[in-house]
Amino acid sequence: MSDLSFHEKSAWGTLLATWLIGILYFNSAWDMWQAGQLHPASNFGLAAGLTALLVAVLVAYHMLIAVTAKPEDEDERDRSISRRAGSIGGAILTVGVIGIVFQILIGGMLGDPVAGSPILIANALMAVVFIATIVELSLTLYFYRKGL
Amino acid sequence: MASGKVENRVRELRASGPGMTQQALAEAVGVSRQTIIAIEQGRYSPSLEVALKIAAAFGEPVEWVFWLGV
Repeated sequence: MSDLSFHEKSAWGTLLATWLIGILYFNSAWDMWQAGQLHPASNFGLAAGLTALLVAVLVAYHMLIAVTAKPEDEDERDRSISRRAGSIGGAILTVGVIGIVFQILIGGMLGDPVAGSPILIANALMAVVFIATIVELSLTLYFYRKGL
Repeated sequence: MASGKVENRVRELRASGPGMTQQALAEAVGVSRQTIIAIEQGRYSPSLEVALKIAAAFGEPVEWVFWLGV
């Protein structure tokens, strides 16, 4: 880890924590759905609890890496990598959200009750945010290692 | 015909003469040590500003330090 910059270490920790907590969230939501216990209130509780856990883990992790290595200001390479990975992650997010909007509208026109389910819409949006974040962080690490 | 890939002799210049560490060059130029490593390994082509600062740190013309590969 010693040859990694502060920003690269930050991206590794954020990727790992997001991946683990994201998987935990979707696993729990799926289990609750199967058991017929996934309601707006229980879904909100699950999402809020795991978001708070993610924030706590990331704060603790960044405090730890800040103690072991002095945080550096972003330089031009950090900014280029962040811009490039962010634009791809943003494109995935946009396509995903537009896809869900079309799904809701077309499902509504066809009278599909699933298309109007707030639980499904919320979790589809969560999945899109999760995938876009994972792709963005993975690309960030790829660009740091392999170059732009 | 140039390949379009920017090549450099930063590592060679750093090792010549009294020598300069990656950290010292990074501080002189205002980038991280990892960015100097990436430039030396050809994984990152710096902006014109950083290329000029690196050349100035060695007291060499920028076209001697950086060039388009063939």
